[in-house]
This record gives sequence, structure tokens and C-alpha cells, in this order.
Amino acid sequence: MIAEIGLFALILALFVAAVQATVPLIGAARGDTAWMNVDRPAAFAQFCLVSIAFGALIWVHVTSDFSVLNVVQNSNTDKPLLYKITGVWGNHEGSMLLWTFILVLYGMAVSVFGRDLPPGLRARALAVQGMIGFGFLLFILMTSNPFVRIDPAPLNGNGLNPLLQDPGLAFHPPFLYLGYVGFSMAFSFAIAALIEGRVDAAWARWVRPWTLVAWCALTLGIAMGSWWSYYTLGWGGYWAWDPVENASLMPWLAGTALLHSSIVAEKRDTMKSWTIFLAIITFSLSLLGTFLVRSGILTSVHSFANDPQRGIFILTLLAAVTGSSLILYAFRAPALKGGGLFTPISREGGLLFNNVVLSTAAGTVLLGTLYPLFVDALGLGKVSVGPPYFNIVMVPLMAPLFVLMAVGPLLSWKRGDLPDALARLKFAFAATIVAVGTTWLIAGVSSRSLWASAGFGLAAWLFFGSLSEWAGRIGLFRRSFADAFHRARHLPRSAYGMTISHMGLAIVLIGIAGSLAWRTEFLQIMHPGDSATVAGYQLKFTGVENNITGPNYVASRATFIVTRDGRYVAELQPERRLYANPQQPLSTVAIHTNFVSDLYAVLGDPSSDGGFVVHIYHNPLVPWIFFGAVMMVLGGLVSLTDRHHRIGAPLRRLGAKIPMPALKVAAASAVADGAAAHERKGMRGWMYVVPLLGFAVLAGFFIWRLHLVEEGDTPNLIPSVMINKAAPKFDLPPLLAGERGFKTADLRGKVTLVNFFASWCVPCREEHPFLSEITKAGITLVGINYKDRPQDAKAWLAELGDPYPTIAVDAHGRTGIDFGVYGVPESYLIDKNGVIRFKQTGPLTPEIIRKQLIPLAEKLSK
Amino acid sequence: MLIGMALIAAVLGTAGSAWAIRPDEMLSNPKLEARARTIDKELRCLVCQNESIDDSDADLAHDLRLLVRRRVLAGDTNEQVKQYIVARYGNYVLLKPPFDAETYLLWLGPLGLLLCAAGAATVYYRRTVQAAEAPPISEEERKRISALIGDTESRIKGA
Repeated sequence: MIAEIGLFALILALFVAAVQATVPLIGAARGDTAWMNVDRPAAFAQFCLVSIAFGALIWVHVTSDFSVLNVVQNSNTDKPLLYKITGVWGNHEGSMLLWTFILVLYGMAVSVFGRDLPPGLRARALAVQGMIGFGFLLFILMTSNPFVRIDPAPLNGNGLNPLLQDPGLAFHPPFLYLGYVGFSMAFSFAIAALIEGRVDAAWARWVRPWTLVAWCALTLGIAMGSWWSYYTLGWGGYWAWDPVENASLMPWLAGTALLHSSIVAEKRDTMKSWTIFLAIITFSLSLLGTFLVRSGILTSVHSFANDPQRGIFILTLLAAVTGSSLILYAFRAPALKGGGLFTPISREGGLLFNNVVLSTAAGTVLLGTLYPLFVDALGLGKVSVGPPYFNIVMVPLMAPLFVLMAVGPLLSWKRGDLPDALARLKFAFAATIVAVGTTWLIAGVSSRSLWASAGFGLAAWLFFGSLSEWAGRIGLFRRSFADAFHRARHLPRSAYGMTISHMGLAIVLIGIAGSLAWRTEFLQIMHPGDSATVAGYQLKFTGVENNITGPNYVASRATFIVTRDGRYVAELQPERRLYANPQQPLSTVAIHTNFVSDLYAVLGDPSSDGGFVVHIYHNPLVPWIFFGAVMMVLGGLVSLTDRHHRIGAPLRRLGAKIPMPALKVAAASAVADGAAAHERKGMRGWMYVVPLLGFAVLAGFFIWRLHLVEEGDTPNLIPSVMINKAAPKFDLPPLLAGERGFKTADLRGKVTLVNFFASWCVPCREEHPFLSEITKAGITLVGINYKDRPQDAKAWLAELGDPYPTIAVDAHGRTGIDFGVYGVPESYLIDKNGVIRFKQTGPLTPEIIRKQLIPLAEKLSK
Repeated sequence: MLIGMALIAAVLGTAGSAWAIRPDEMLSNPKLEARARTIDKELRCLVCQNESIDDSDADLAHDLRLLVRRRVLAGDTNEQVKQYIVARYGNYVLLKPPFDAETYLLWLGPLGLLLCAAGAATVYYRRTVQAAEAPPISEEERKRISALIGDTESRIKGA
């Protein structure tokens, strides 16, 4: 019953969204106040309905209602209550509902806080929010209904992946979505402004704080995800440039650019069409992230169960949202009038530079993430773009930005004085020299310490530069202390916000530089009683306690006593857990932190002689990455409390001053202006069309790619480089005693199919019955038993029959590697001269054998 | 990182990468082992999702790590070891793709993007300046100004 109520509420919400998307928009176009005023109650109703649906899904999860498929697939009665709740969004369907819930939450916020907005702007913005909501609700109802029933209901569910049974799941996705979806505010208002044809102070005043909210949430969400992966995955790292991580980084980079350009839009009434463009791009990248993760287009460690059908729907949604807004932008943006003048060296100039670098960075991450797909699609082969690429490209791109981050805030608006700004950075410059020098003194001059010192120098420059800017503003050391204190108290909160956030970033930089340069890793088999020395710490392994029972797992817990110079420091207890539902092992990490560095221990597999594989990392300065990130968020929150963000006050005046008809006239004249400007400038308008073209190409590519995925093209298939090359040298022993083995020279003079198989390989069973067709066609068949135990292989052949005239053994897989084998079964067709002509990765099917293999073999044997 | 939301695919068995490299694989010479680790981090595990063979506990990754160590012991340079594996599996195994026809766009793309963004910013800036510049004074306005100035001048004189 509860599930049906949830589903019903979702369907109702869809209808309300349809109303919210259309009625206020028509009202705003006609200047009909009654129609426009539908926006707020509609947003409220949508919020209530989606809340009911979300509440219903939580309810069926908490009560373990196994007649609901989503609960069966993701829950279990043994699961602790916290994870029954957080497990709601630990799957595709539930997380989409959370996404929509947050969307309507923001819609609700517009209707509550936006009472004093110009009604036309608000009506249009809420209509755009309604459209997005409609799209997502339709998506949920059509492809991802979380309330589907199952009959008969099983007694218990499959449970939740142990990795997700962590408090991290309670915070990471909600904050991430608050960020992603929060950018829909800036987006909806950007579209509303484009429709209206004008961007005024009310617009910028509204967009800036909400962008800040979204930015804070996304920063926190990413930092939490990073921390979560750091303390659970046991790899000692915090960022891997995985496609899914990149999917969250792209909107963050674009959103950071948006945050800064919205300051210019608000304070100086300029860079408006630029800001609108960034608002569109930021939200589009949020949607793109959602699309990539769920479509099956990209493969990632973190992706959801892939479904091309869903991918097509999200792609359509993405195309509708981004495509239509870029079309609107191309038409309307040329008409938006720029405001105040500024010289290149000015605060505006600095923020423009920030925007250029951050947009490039977002574009670079997009390029690196999608490049393998492009190359593959164009048939140019396969490339991997891994962490080394991103590190090489991003460091030189971002470093100048960090340098200028200290300078920019010291430049005044309109026309800055660079020599004066640099003079005020004397102290920061000295601090940079000290930081670099000290690093060299302590760590010695090596390539490691060179990188570290560069990072520390940059961080010191940024940290003390930001501090100098604050000190300069309050006149510290120049005025009396009382006066400076008075000024410090009256400095706007937004100024403090900036200083804190920039200093936070400096601390993140220190953390990254330090951990990259001086991470130590220890990996050994340890027996109880053994000691290890890692980065000056002694760790005594006292032993492993077995059969510790948790709520839904059984654990083995190791204990390490950590001492330094004979003094007790801490006790580390990493565990290896075996979860009951689903039956999965998980190893938990033990971390001891002194807030400067972490000692990080992971317990691995037991060895045959009673020892254990022990992995210990010493991660210097990693905690600072997370402190710094929290400080950045804190800065954002401080800025949010700034008096001038109290949204109502200045807008009430504005709203009252511009009655509707005037607004309509203004809009109409702006459009007329726009058309005129378009004609006047002629060719210049092209610039605004470029993003649209870029997006069209991208969308076309995705459609093609999704089509291929649907057709069953596996994105993971790697083409062999061995085709048309001589088969590698090998000389392998026979499987069965008394028979001949097989070596490279035996390939001469006949067409041979070399088939790698193993008894442990499931797909090998699939192709096995068809292998006899090959010998029947006159092709010499050679089986190579790959990394198998001989007795298993013999039993397997005894059970299924032996189609191979010759079987050789590649016990360690070395010959396999020489052939380029990466997953059995694999088959190579080799011609009379010993040259590889064809490779089949995966099981041979009768179709492949008849249509490809045999005709080719006939051609080769001529 | 666990980003991207509640994601996850433990199905792929990537969760336990903690013990990817095993002690019994390691070379006794710490210098050579360090070199081998550096190489490991630049080679992709073919059967995994975006993991290096250093991070992966897949069986093939294990075999490749052993191979890397055999080549290092045999006296290969880092580059030679990588080429040895590339000869068998193609450039796909390199996490840092080489600079060749396939990847010009990848390596030069960021620079291109930077130039595009900087170009857009420049055009944008110029336009803002142009738009903000006052149009030249028209003949009518000139007359009005001189009339006003004349008016004032005559008044000053008159006073």
C-alpha cells in the first residue's frame, strides 16, 4: 500500500510539474499575473508529492518490505537501521528519486525565499525548474520505477554491497546532489533571463548566493567522497582520475568559474552573457555526469548497473536541456548589454582570467575522460587516458591560476594597479622563498623535494597573499590596533569568505604536494610477533583475533602496537570482514592520525605459513587535504551569511518599481535591440553559436555510441596488435604424458587455430561443443591449457570430451602474455608461415566459425 | 574515490585492491623494485576498469607485474619494459598515452581549449569596451555644447 502511495504521488508530481512548466511561462509571456502566480503553489505541491514518494521509499526500506523489488535487491533484514535508510539511495532508482527530491527542494526554496523577486523572472525560472522536474519524473516512472512489486515476495533480500555500508553513504551522495542540482538554480534563472531578454541586478543578486550554496555542497560532497574512498578502499590514495570522479570534478570546475563570474555580474553589472553561459554549462556538466555514470557509455569502477535504455532517456533529457538552452543563448545572448568598463589589469580582468583557466580545466577533464571513446569510435584503435595524463596536463594549467589567486583580490575594480599589488605581496613572496628553502633544507634537493617545494611555495604564496589582502583591507600595521580591529569587525562577511576559502585551497595544495612527495609504503608478509618500521614508527604485529561477529559480518582483527622512539603512540586494528548478505569480503582500514600525517594499515590475505600480507602506508599531510576542503566550504558558508545576500531586501524595491507591463516593454525592446545588434554586428554573432555546434557534435557522438552499446558492442574489447605479426616464440610441454608438446616451429606449413582455454573459465564451456567443427573443416586445432592445474584440465576434458588433437600447457601464462591474451578463451588463426591472421577474444560461436574462421582458413591454405 | 554517488561495482572485484601487489612478487633489490613499481603504475590492467596493474588484484595484473620484474632483472630500461608489453597488447596498456597521430588531439587539446577560452575572453572584453564607449558626438550635440559654453562664457564676461 505504501509503495502504491509513493508511486501515485510520483505520477501526480509529474502532472503538477507539467503545469508548473507551462502555466507560469504562458502567464509571464502574456503578462497575466494570475497565471504567473501558479508557480509558487505548484512548486509547493511538487515538493509535497515528491517528499511523499521519497518518504514512502524510505518507509518500505526501513520496514524491509520484500514485496518491493528495489528493497529485495538492495536490502536485508540483518542490515543496521542506518544502512536501511541510506541504502535507499545506494542504487540507481533510489538515487534518481533523491536527485528529484533535491530538485523540488530547491524549487520550494525559490517559492519561499523568492517572494520578492520580480514576478516575471520568478515565474519563468520556476517554469524551467518544472521542466527539469518533469523530465526527471518521467525518467523515473518510465525506466527506473523504485516501487515495482515482486510476487511472490522472497523471505529476505539480497542486501547492500558492504562497501556502501558506511556512514559515508549517508552524506556523500546527498551533498553531491545538493551540489549538482543546486546549479539548476543558476541555470533556471539564466534561462528565465534569456527568455526575458534582460539580466538585471535582481538576477545577479539571486544567482550568486544560490551558486554559492551549490558550490559549498558540491565541494563538501567531493571531499567526502574522496575521504570515504581514502578510509575504506585501502589503497592509501584519495583521487584516481576515474571517469566517475571526473564527472563530479567537471561541474565543480565550471561551477567555481560561475561563482566568480557571478560576482562580477552582481557588483559591476558586466560579464553577464558570460555568466549565463557558465550557468548553462555548469548544470549541463552536472547532467552529463549523471548520464555518463548510468548509460554504460563509460566503464568505471564506480558506475551503476549499466542500461543503454536509460542512457538514451538521459541523453534525450540532456539534449533537451542543454541543446535548447544553447539555442536560446545563441539567439539572445548577443543582445545582452555589457555594463561597466574595465581594463585588463583589474579585479574584473583577474576574474576573467580565473574563468578562462577554470573553463579550460573543465574542458580538459572532459576531453581526457571522453577521448578513449572518440578514438575507439573513429576506428583509430584503443587508448587509455590515465592519471599520468591528467597530472601532466592539469598541473601547468592550474599553477598560474594559483599564482594569480593571490594577486587578483589586491587589484581594484575597473582599473587595478599591478606594481602596487605586487608591492603588497612582499611578505607573501618572502614566505614563498622561506617555504621553498626550508623544504630543500629539510628534505634535501631531489626531484621529489623539488616538486614538493614547488607545491609548498605555491601554497605559501596563496596563503600569505590572501592573508596580506585581509591585513591590507583592515589596515593592520598601518593604523592603530583599535582602528584595525574596528575595521576587521566591519569587513563584509563575503570578504572573509573569500580569504578563508582561498587559504583553504592553499592548505589542500600543501596536502597534495606533501602526500605525493613523501608517501611511504610498506608491504610484507608479517607473522605474529614481527615488527615493522615505517617512517620512523615501529609497528609490532601482535596477532589476529578470529571470529569477531558484527551485526551482519564475521571479522578477523589484527592488532599492531605503534611506538615511536620507544614511546607508545597508538594501537591499529585493521579487519578483514566477511559479510553475510551479500556474501562479500571487505577489508577495513585502520588509521592513526596526528592531524599532520596518517599511519594507515590494511590487513591482507593469510599466507600459507601462518603469516599475513600487511600493507602499511605513511601518508604525510593527507589530513590537510580534507581540512583544507572543509575550510573552503566554511569560507563559502561565511560568505553566505553576508548581509547583502539577505535576498529580499534590495529586491523588494526593485520588484515594486518595475510593474509588469514595463517589464514586458523592457523585454520587447531588449529583443528588438538584440535583433538590431545582431544585424549591426553581422558576423560577430557567430561566437554565440559555437557552443551549440560543439554540443551538437558531442550529442551526435553519444547517440552513435549508445546505439553501438545496444547492438551489443562491448566497449571493453581490445583489438590485438598481433594481427599480421609472426606468432611469438614458445615451446610448451604436452598436457597428457607420452604425447608431443607444441612449439613455434610446428606452426609451419599448415593453417592452425591456437585456442587458449582453461577448466576454470566459464565461457570456455560455451565454445567447447563447437570446436570439433574446426578440425572437421581441415584446420589444425591446438589447445593451449592456460594457467590451469593439469588434473583439473584432464577432468574437464573427460567430462566434456576432447576436441583437441594437440594440447600444450602454459602453466604460468607467459606464452599467453606473448600472444597478448588477456582473458580466456582466446583463439588465434595462424597461417602457413606462422603469421597471426585473426583473433577471437571470447568464446567462438558457430556463426564466427562458419562465416569468418573457415572462409579465412580456406583462403590462407591456398 | 567513491564519487559519482552510490555507484559501485563490487562485481568487478576491485574493492580489495589493498593487497594488489603481493610480497612474494617483489624483487629483493629495493632499487629495482622501486623501478618496477614505477612501471607498474603506468601500465593499465587490461581486464579492469581504469586501474593500473599496481592497483589491481586481477590475475593478469599479477602475471604482468611478474613480467615487468623479469624484464627489469634482465636489464631493460623502464622504456624498454613498457615497449615489451606494448608490443603484445598495444598502446592501450599505457596509462600515459604516447604522443602520436592517435593522440595529437588529446595532448594538444588542452592548449587549444586554452587558446579558445582566451580568444573568447578577448573578443568578449573588446566588445564590452566597444559597447561601453560613448558614440561620437553628433553635430547637433556639438551645437548644443558650444551654445552652452558660449552661454556660460558670455555670462562670465557679462559679470
